[in-house]
Amino acid sequence: MKTYSQISGELNEFSDLPFWKKTDTVDLVYVCYGLFIVTLVVLSYFLGSFNLLPRDPQDIDLELMMAPPGSAGHLLGTDFMGRDMLSRLIVGIQAYFLPGLLAVTIALFFGTVLGVLAGYRGGNFDTGITYFTNLVDSFPRLVLILLVIAAFRPEIYYIMIVVGVTNVPVVSSHIKGKIQFLKQKNFIEADTALGLPARTIILKHILWHNCRSLLIIQATLGMAEAILMETSLSYLGFGVQEPTPSWGNMVQSGANYFMQGRFWPSTAPALAILFTILGFHLLGDGLNNILENKRGR
Amino acid sequence: MKLSAIRPMARVLSRELAITALLLIGVSFVVFIILFLSPGDPLSILLEGQMPSAEVRAGVREAMGAPRAWYSQYLSWFTGMLQGNFGTSIRTGLPVLKEVFRVGLNTLTLTVGSLLVTLMIAVPIALYSAMRGLNRMSWLLTMFAYVISALPVFWLGYIVIYFFTHKLGLFPLAFGYTTTTQKYSWLYPLLPILVLGVGNGTISEVIRYLRDEMERVLAEDYIRTARAKGASVWKHSFKEGLLIPVTEIIASKVPFILGGAVIVEQVFNWPGMGRMAWQAAQDRDYPVIMGIAIVAAVFVRMGSLLQSVVYVMVNPRASRE
Repeated sequence: MKTYSQISGELNEFSDLPFWKKTDTVDLVYVCYGLFIVTLVVLSYFLGSFNLLPRDPQDIDLELMMAPPGSAGHLLGTDFMGRDMLSRLIVGIQAYFLPGLLAVTIALFFGTVLGVLAGYRGGNFDTGITYFTNLVDSFPRLVLILLVIAAFRPEIYYIMIVVGVTNVPVVSSHIKGKIQFLKQKNFIEADTALGLPARTIILKHILWHNCRSLLIIQATLGMAEAILMETSLSYLGFGVQEPTPSWGNMVQSGANYFMQGRFWPSTAPALAILFTILGFHLLGDGLNNILENKRGR
Repeated sequence: MKLSAIRPMARVLSRELAITALLLIGVSFVVFIILFLSPGDPLSILLEGQMPSAEVRAGVREAMGAPRAWYSQYLSWFTGMLQGNFGTSIRTGLPVLKEVFRVGLNTLTLTVGSLLVTLMIAVPIALYSAMRGLNRMSWLLTMFAYVISALPVFWLGYIVIYFFTHKLGLFPLAFGYTTTTQKYSWLYPLLPILVLGVGNGTISEVIRYLRDEMERVLAEDYIRTARAKGASVWKHSFKEGLLIPVTEIIASKVPFILGGAVIVEQVFNWPGMGRMAWQAAQDRDYPVIMGIAIVAAVFVRMGSLLQSVVYVMVNPRASRE
C-alpha cells in the first residue's frame, strides 16, 4: 500500500516543482551534505594524525585570548588561552575517530550474527535474542557507561565497547526483520531446493546482496551515536583530559567564559558537534530513503 | 472499564509482570558481572596496605563471613537487595536505597516533564506533515527537527542559563537558592525540563516515527470508508495512528531521556539521580551507581509495562498473541 506522500512524490518526480517537494532531490541534498561532513572528518583525522596543522594546538598566546573567528593567523579565532581554535578542533577528532570505529564494528558484527540467528533460525534463538535486546534496552546508556567507569577506569575504549554492545539490538532487529521479509521470497526457497549450503545463502544471497545498504546506514547512525557519547563523556570529565583537546572538554572549559558573554570558546566546538552529528544523521536517513526505497522525506 | 475487558487485561498484566521480573533479574546479573570483573573488591579496598599476605587476606575474608564463589556472592547480594538492602555508599556511608529515593523523585519530574515537552513539539509537527504531505512548511519543520536533534544538550543548557539568569536576571544561579527580589524563581525547574525535552536528541526520530505511523493509518481502507461516508477521520485514526505510537515512543525513549538527564542535571545543578551517578563515578563509589542503574532499569521497565497495558486497552485481541 502506497501512502499519500509516496504517490505524490512519484507524481512530482519529473514535474517543475520546488525541490523540497521532490523527495529524491531532498534525499540527495541530505546525502551530499553528509558525505561532505564525513570526508571532512576523515581528512581532518589524517591531518591531525600526521600533524599537518595550521598551528600548534598547544601554543599559548596570552596576548590574543578569545579572538573572534577570522582574526589574522587564526581562521576560527582562539580559545581562552589564545590557542588556535581550528587546530584544536582538528586534533579533537582524534578523541572519537578510532574509538567510534571500534563501537561501530562491534555493533555491526554482533548485530549481524544475532540478527541472522534470530531471523534465519528463529525459535529458541529468537526468544533468547529478544530477551537480550530487552535487557540491553533496560539500561540508560550513560548510566551503564558510568557504571563501567566506576568499576574499571575512565578509558575511552571500554566506553566504546559499551556503546557498541548497546547498539547491537538495533542492528540485529533490522537484520532480523529483513531476513523474515526475504524468507517469504521465492529465491530463498529456490536456494534451499537447489541444495545450496546455508553459508552461501546467508553470506552471499542474504547479507551481501540484500543487507549491505542496511549495514552501511546502521554504521553511519552508530558513528553519530559514538560521537555523541564521546563528546558527552569528555564534557562530563571522563574522556580526554585538558590540555589534549576533545570537542566535549573544549565546550566544558570554555563554559566558564560563557557567562561573561564570551561565547566563542565553547560555541565553536559545540557547532562542530552539531554539524558533524547532523551530517551523519542526514547521510544515514538520506541513504535509507534512497537505498531502502522508503520514500517520504 | 467493561467487564469483558478485564480478562485480557489480567492475562497481559500477569505475562508482562513475569517478563519484567525476569528482565530485572537479568539487569541485576549484568550489574553484578561488571562489578565482579572489575579489579579489586570492597574487601581488598578495606584491607588496602594493611595486611599484605594472601593467607591473612583469606583469613579475614573467612572471619567476616564474606562468600567465596561468585554465585554465592551474587545470591547474597541479590537477596539483600530484595530485602531493600542496596548497601551503603563508600563516600558518605549512608544507605544507598534511601539516598536514591531521595533524589529519584527529582529525576522522575525531570524525565516525565521532558517527555511531555518532546511530545508537545513532535506530535503537532508529525500530524501536520502526515495530513498535508510534502510542502515547504513540513520540509522546514523536518529540517528544524534534524538540527535540534543534533544540538549538544550541554551547550543548549548554557545558552538558556545565560539568557535567563544573566540577561533577564529572572533566576538564581543555582538550584534551591531563592531570593526575595526574584519573584519568578519558582519557575526555575522548568528550564532543565525544557532543555532536556528539546535537546535530548530524539526529536527527529520521534517525529519520523509518529508521522510514518499516521501516514500508514491514513492510507488504510477503513479511513477511506470513514472519509467517504463523512465520518470524522480524526476519530477513526486517533487510536491506531497516534495513541499507540505515542505510548511506544514513551516506552522506548525513557532510557535516552534518563541518559540525557545525567548531563542536564550536571549543567543545571539539579539534585537528581544523574548528578548522583556522576559523583559516584568520580569517586568510584560503586554501591551507589549499582543502585542507580537498577532503579533506572525499573523506571524503564515501568514505561514498557504502561505501553503494553495501553496496547491491550486499545486492542484486546492482542492479549491472545
